[in-house]
This record gives sequence, structure tokens and C-alpha cells, in this order.
Amino acid sequence: MDLQDIKLYIDDRPEQGVFRVNRDVFADPELFELEQKYIFERTWAFLAFESQLAKPHDFVATYIGRVPVMVARDGEGELGAFLNVCRHKGTVLCRTESGNRKYHVCNYHGWAYDSGGKNVDIKDRKDACYSAAFDAEGHDLVPLARFGSYKGLLFGSLSPEVPPLEDYLGEMKFFLDLALEQGPKGMECLPGRITYTFDANWKLQMDNGVDQYHLTSTHTSFMEVVRRREKAKTGNQVARAFDWDQRLKQEGGMFSFEHGHTAIWLNQAQPERRPVHTTLDEVKERVGATRAEWMLRLRNTVVFPNMQIADSTSLLLRTFRPLAVNKTEMRVYCMAPIGEPAAVRAWRLRQFEDFFNVSGFATPDDTTLYEDSQAGFAAPISWLQGYQRGIAAIEPGANALAREIGIKPVASLKGPYMIQTETCFHAPYREWARLMQAGVSGEKPYSF
Amino acid sequence: MADSLEVGRDLIVREAVCLDERRWDEWLALFAEDCEYWVPTWRTEDELTSNPQAEISHIYYANRAGLEDRIVRIRSGRSPASTPLRRTVHNVSNVLLTEPAEESLMRLRSSWTSHVFDPRHKKTDTFFGHAYYELRRTGKNWLIAKKKTILQNDYLPAMVDIYCL
Repeated sequence: MDLQDIKLYIDDRPEQGVFRVNRDVFADPELFELEQKYIFERTWAFLAFESQLAKPHDFVATYIGRVPVMVARDGEGELGAFLNVCRHKGTVLCRTESGNRKYHVCNYHGWAYDSGGKNVDIKDRKDACYSAAFDAEGHDLVPLARFGSYKGLLFGSLSPEVPPLEDYLGEMKFFLDLALEQGPKGMECLPGRITYTFDANWKLQMDNGVDQYHLTSTHTSFMEVVRRREKAKTGNQVARAFDWDQRLKQEGGMFSFEHGHTAIWLNQAQPERRPVHTTLDEVKERVGATRAEWMLRLRNTVVFPNMQIADSTSLLLRTFRPLAVNKTEMRVYCMAPIGEPAAVRAWRLRQFEDFFNVSGFATPDDTTLYEDSQAGFAAPISWLQGYQRGIAAIEPGANALAREIGIKPVASLKGPYMIQTETCFHAPYREWARLMQAGVSGEKPYSF
Repeated sequence: MADSLEVGRDLIVREAVCLDERRWDEWLALFAEDCEYWVPTWRTEDELTSNPQAEISHIYYANRAGLEDRIVRIRSGRSPASTPLRRTVHNVSNVLLTEPAEESLMRLRSSWTSHVFDPRHKKTDTFFGHAYYELRRTGKNWLIAKKKTILQNDYLPAMVDIYCL
């Protein structure tokens, strides 16, 4: 395929009911390089939770795509985000993932910066015989082109040509709010690092995080374990896993949004098995009955390109960072209301570990199959057929439900769970095609 | 206390060998019903999490029922991550009593390495760390009452199960 017509990697013909994805988008190293430039370096990316930077001089070091970045709170309590590299020789500055430091001193030649990114020392400067031109240059850390916070989640962009954060998130904010407003004092991510890699393309995770169809084939062993827990009242009872047979009888749906964001939802058969259920009265009073009711529904979302919030078996935020066309790094965070009672927190943790951990009962089955998919992409079948369930049930724009809750999706779908719709994938791939095409055509990625 | 150490070491090694030889029932029977099985995560590069009720763990079970779930899944033959089952070898060393043994209670530590071969993807992973055991005697039998596994290399591959640890 001609890279100048890069959008054609997505065969998107809504009027004919066709949506197909070319397997090369997962397997072609050349496309991977373009994704770095035209997607990861030109969109907003999740960086950290504000709760990770509670005190002055706290910092978190992370990445946007391949680029090392850091977020720090300065002495006055202001948050800033910078490229995590020393101006002198480009060495990575913060060498731990988190910490508290008033001054960041580069280990290599000793240049020092304060927690606000200002250069405070160039080692042995007075003896350096620097030119006036050097003195005229800025030596502070390079701030990210854009940096913003949405209800405790910190985002950054390497490019200034992105819409303001709130506009970028757009109507997706409704679904973010359902996760971020569960506690009266906000949400935090719980301590403990879980990072893992899989040998497959990052978009396999992008898809799978909102894939309802794989449940009854990929996770049959987990379903078997849970059935045994229900019947024999044995096994890990603390996790209070849901009865998945009931789940299959529920009604659910999909909303897709501008900028590639997407959400699926499902009515919850056993709402009392969700930690948020314990504080429902407080939540209702604060956010209203409709939103509280939505918090009890199962919801999986993609914030394009590489962040997901799942509030299904537990409340999770994950990022999936491409390392190579066939290698991805995953980070998962367990989210909880700040100040949650100890017993509820323990239950939440067990529920999270049971399903979402890479040492748990579900995630390893997913990641193993991503690797099998990646291996399968070597076969000469160009067009994948996994993007079309539910395509005839799409309602363009807002359906009645969307109007009721006051959101304006690009497309909606509502129906029995058994549709197991794949239409939720359309928005991310349309945005992928749009951004990649803008990139190769030399156009601005967004008009705003 | 040399005899106690020998008894303790025997149980610790047996636990590892049962995993390698897939003798799952025998493995489960080494644990007390109310055993605590805990694999904490790292909070930072240098510091482990310390409270499984407030911080995320790789695995935390307050009793043996959680371990039984694991075996149900392995045996189901329906978990893509567990079929074909990985082949493992555990090496256990540096077993020491961490405090003087009592008549029906011992606390020991070990170092362990496990080599895990995935015949499906033709890949080998190595996991290593320490483990802290509390052993309890019931009648003639010593059982594992607590096991805390420290996973030193926690940048993980696409799956980790109890037989990797």
C-alpha cells in the first residue's frame, strides 16, 4: 500500500456496512515509526495521578511514546512537566520512577535544576570560558509543549498543536467523571508497581480493553473458577467476582467520541459486588442519581491513543506504551476513592488482583493471545474481520440514552450484551487513520 | 537446631519440586488451610509494599482456597496462558532459620530461582527472589502457615503464575 494514502489501511465504508483493518497496522515497522511521530508525539498522553505528587518537590518520571518526561511539584506547590533530560548532554535526569527532590542534579556532569525545572547550577561555570552566546542560551529544563490536569489525572503533549485538554477529552469526560468522581475527596492510585511487557503490537491492548466478544472464549478458565466459587462457596471469596452467566443476559452498548475515544457499557447484575455500591447514598447526593446509576454499570473505555479506564471487575487505569512494532509495555494502576474505609479497600485490591494482574486469572490469557495474534499477522491475509459485530445496529450520533444523559457521541449502540459489539473499535482506528494521513500529507493534526 | 533447619529445608525444597513436577495436590497439601500466601509488589525501586490490605500485591491470599483456585485454572485446560503448560525448574538455596525454632513453629528464609520455558512461544523467562516462610507443626506434620515471596525482577513478561515463583 502507498504510504501517501495511509488512511487506506483502514477500510471504512459505513454506507456499505464495512469496517476492516489491515493487519499491517500491527506488523509493519515502517508504520510503527510513523505512529511515533504522527500519533504519540502529536496527541495528549496520560502521565501520572496528581495523588502521586502530593507534596512539594515530589516527582514522577515516565514516557510519552519513546520520550522520557517528568512531572514535578515545585516548592510553591505548582505542578510542571518537562523533558526528563539534562540540557548539557541530553542524559536522563531523574533516574528513578518517583521520589521527592528539591534539586535534580544530573549524575553525568552535575548540572542542577530545581523542582520547577529552573537551572540553578552549571558545575564550575566561572572557570568554563563559555562564550556570551552560551550565556545567552536558556539552560532550564524544556517544558512539555502542553501540560494539563483533569480531575486528578495529569496529561502532557510533546506538540503544541493539540486542542486544550478538556476539548481533547470532549464528551469522553462523562465517562472519565464516572471513574474520577466516585470519592468525595477525589481518587488516588494505590501504591505498588505492576509493569509488564508483551511481544505484540500496542493496538492489541487498545482493542482488547473494550472487547466484549473474547470473554466467553479467552476467559473460560476464569469463568470456571468463578462458577466453582459460587457453587461450592470456596476459593477466593474475598474477591467477590461476578456471576458471569448473569452478565451475559444483560443489556449494554457503545458510545464513540471525537478524537478516537470510545466506551462500552453493560448493566450490572450484582451491583452489591462493586466497592462503589457501599457509598452509593453519598455518591448520589454529590453527583446525582443518574451518574451514580452509571457508576454501577460496567464500563470500559479507551482514551486515545494509549490509556484505558476499566470499571468492570475493579476500577483500573492502564497505559500501554509501544516499545517496538511487536513489543508493548503495560502499566496498570488500581484506583480508589481517597479516604476509603480499610475493609472496602482490601476487597477492592483482591478484586483487582484476581482479574487484572498479570499474575491474576484473566490478563495473562489476554496477553498470551496478543502474542499469538502477532505471530498470526505473518500470514498473507490483509484484512482482519474482527471489527464488524454490531455494525448494522449503529445509530449515528446520539441515541435516546445519550440524549437522556446529555452527551453527544459520534455514534451510539444499545442492545443485548450478546451483540458483543466490535463497533467500539471504529473511533480509535478512524482517528489513527486521520492522524497518520495528516502526518504524511504534511497537514496540521487538529483544527481548533 | 540443625535438625529443625533440615526439616524446614526439606519442606521448602519439596514445595518447589512439587511445582516443577506438577504434583498439584501434593503441593496444596503442604499449605495449612489458613495459610497466608503473599507476593508483594515493589512500591519504588528500593522499597517493597508492606500492607497487602492497603497496597497492591502481585498475589495475596489469606487462606489456601486462593491457591486451590489456581490449580482449578491450571487443570481446566482452558486457559490460553496455561496451555501448553510451561516447564519449570526451581532452584532453592540459602535456606536459613531467621529465628530460633520452637517446638511447633519455625521461621526460615530461602533464595530461589525459577527457569520457565514456554513451549508455545519458544521463550524462557527467569524469575528470582527470596522467600520467607512460617512453618507450623500439627501433630507430626509441618505445614506452611505463611509464605511471603519477594520477586526481585518485577519487570514482568506477559504472564506469571504460581509455578513461576
